Amino acid sequence: MRMKTTDLTRIYRLGPSEITAVNKVNLEITEAMFMAIVGPSGSGKSTLLHLIGLNDYPTFGKICIDDADVSLLSSSEHRKIRLLRMGFVFQTFNLLPTLSALENVELPMALAGKSSKEQTEKALRLLEAVGLSNRLVHRPKELSMGEMQRVAIARALANDPEMIIADEPTGELDSKTAKEIIALLFEINRKKKAIVVVATHDEKIVDVADRIYLIEDGGLRLQS
Amino acid sequence: MRLLTLCFRNLSRRKLRTLLCIIGVALATTFVIAVGATTMRYATVIKEMNVLFSGQVMVVSKDAIVIQAIPIGGGMLPQNSTVNKIKNITGLEKTVPILFVTPSIEVSGTLIPVPENFSMGVPVEDWRSIFGSTPLKGNVGHFPINESSNEAVIGPSLADQYRWSVGTKILINGYELEVVGILDTKLALLNRCVVMSLKLAQEIYNYRGSVNIITAKPVQGTTQKNLADAIENQISYVNALTEDERNDMIQPILVQVETWNLGLQTVVFAMSLILVMTVTLMSVSERRRDFATLDAIGASVSYVFRVVIVESTLIGVLGGVLGIFFGSLLALVLASLYTNISLAQFFPSIFEIVPPLYLIEIFAAIVSVSCIGGVVPALNAMRMRIAEVLRAEY
Ligand SMILES: Nc1ncnc2c1ncn2[C@@H]1O[C@H](COP(=O)(O)OP(=O)(O)O)[C@@H](O)[C@H]1O
Ligand SMILES: [Mg+2]
Repeated sequence: MRMKTTDLTRIYRLGPSEITAVNKVNLEITEAMFMAIVGPSGSGKSTLLHLIGLNDYPTFGKICIDDADVSLLSSSEHRKIRLLRMGFVFQTFNLLPTLSALENVELPMALAGKSSKEQTEKALRLLEAVGLSNRLVHRPKELSMGEMQRVAIARALANDPEMIIADEPTGELDSKTAKEIIALLFEINRKKKAIVVVATHDEKIVDVADRIYLIEDGGLRLQS
Repeated sequence: MRLLTLCFRNLSRRKLRTLLCIIGVALATTFVIAVGATTMRYATVIKEMNVLFSGQVMVVSKDAIVIQAIPIGGGMLPQNSTVNKIKNITGLEKTVPILFVTPSIEVSGTLIPVPENFSMGVPVEDWRSIFGSTPLKGNVGHFPINESSNEAVIGPSLADQYRWSVGTKILINGYELEVVGILDTKLALLNRCVVMSLKLAQEIYNYRGSVNIITAKPVQGTTQKNLADAIENQISYVNALTEDERNDMIQPILVQVETWNLGLQTVVFAMSLILVMTVTLMSVSERRRDFATLDAIGASVSYVFRVVIVESTLIGVLGGVLGIFFGSLLALVLASLYTNISLAQFFPSIFEIVPPLYLIEIFAAIVSVSCIGGVVPALNAMRMRIAEVLRAEY
């Protein structure tokens, strides 16, 4: 997957005032890239990730995936892309509380219509890869935060996405666990050749990234 | 991960609330079934009264209170003079005087619509024309032989209840009667009836020389209407009711009962709808993040819709099953209370009191109601977006 944004802008209107959360962002994301977006709280990281994750619509500008303008696609085609070509990791994990670790990982495959045998086999493999073979039947509330985030990463990988979008994936974790999670994302990036886009306010955590962008008041610039 | 399993788990996450909602739906269903079955039973009993006397004009006193021409109070007719007057009318084929006694129809001043039992006195030579087609159970026994024999034929429900059989001696108002046969019938009117000779009934119940129903059958070629008109012209103190007139008398009552029933059902179902909708709305808004996550990871809107609808429908299914169980039980208890017939007695005939088709109808209605109750919450769930929900949490 290649993604290119042109003058991507998202303006929130709150009554009479306007907030430009993302301001004319031009970004090129190419195959197998590990990319970090660093900025303080309120700088527009989440808004930008929601836009490139096709979870929100830009006020101006456009996003092209493999040279096709996604604004021309229907919302159900956006869903298909999110389901089959992208994987999401959230700061607050967002696992479904009534499902076990295994079932949470199976879910995207079930939504994609995979057979239940296929779902289980793949989910087992993914949970093993993130080091959770011994936590299969645990519900999220029975897991530590680090374990929850590993389950979430396994879920994001379920349909072999070409791009993983992680919004402050280490925000709730202590620094040791945070390092492990970033290392895991890095390993996935290298082994599976999947694009990884990580947003964080803590620059130290993402020194492994191929490219680090700084975001401030919605404006993006390349740091290295 | 099957959808149904997911929904069950979501429901059991809020056990108390789900349980309360199911109980609410179950109560509503119980109420609808019990009230519906009870009123339907009355309606059936009333309608059946006409079956026994179909094709005949029924002559009753003008001051009698009648349901379907069955006198339930007041108004006796002098037997011989009235019968003789009717016999002189042209167009008459046969006339039979009957004494119909409902001893327990009034309990401490209130009228009870379905009496525990009643007695019928019919002249011995006219048995055939009244009960002609009703056989005796097991072909055992016989109809009373002569007017002065202390013999009675009883309805099957009475026989079952008191374990009376052919040969049993029963005591009514100090008279000892021998049971000589048990009617083989499903008619509510005959089920709880003690039938004896007219003379004996008049003696036992102290109505010598009086009757309260005289049937009049028209000859071929004469209509019930013509015969009834002629009778009313000749005899000033009677009403002669044709089958149509008898049905017309109860039609408004039945329609009214039906309307009340329908109104009650509508209100109760509307309340269930609101209950299910409120509870489902609450559980959807509690799980905004879950639905937004499903949307973010690419679940289709129809999947999200189904999750919510199946949950609300499950409440209806569980509540409906409970309601059917308790509603049928309550209908039985009510029937037993109103008739003084023991519950155990009623059990074998449970599906006559709550017809299966009726149960299926109510079940379908409550399940549809709870399914519809899920629509608005489901539409809400479909609108949850990750960008808004994650932000709104802080
Ligand atoms: N739904 C919204 N409505 C109004 N303003 C918003 C909304 N979402 C974000 N913002 C504003 O946009 C700016 C960027 O927010 P966000 O993208 O969440 O930043 P970050 O993720 O870097 O903390 C902030 O000023 C925030 O208040
Ligand atoms: Mg953020």
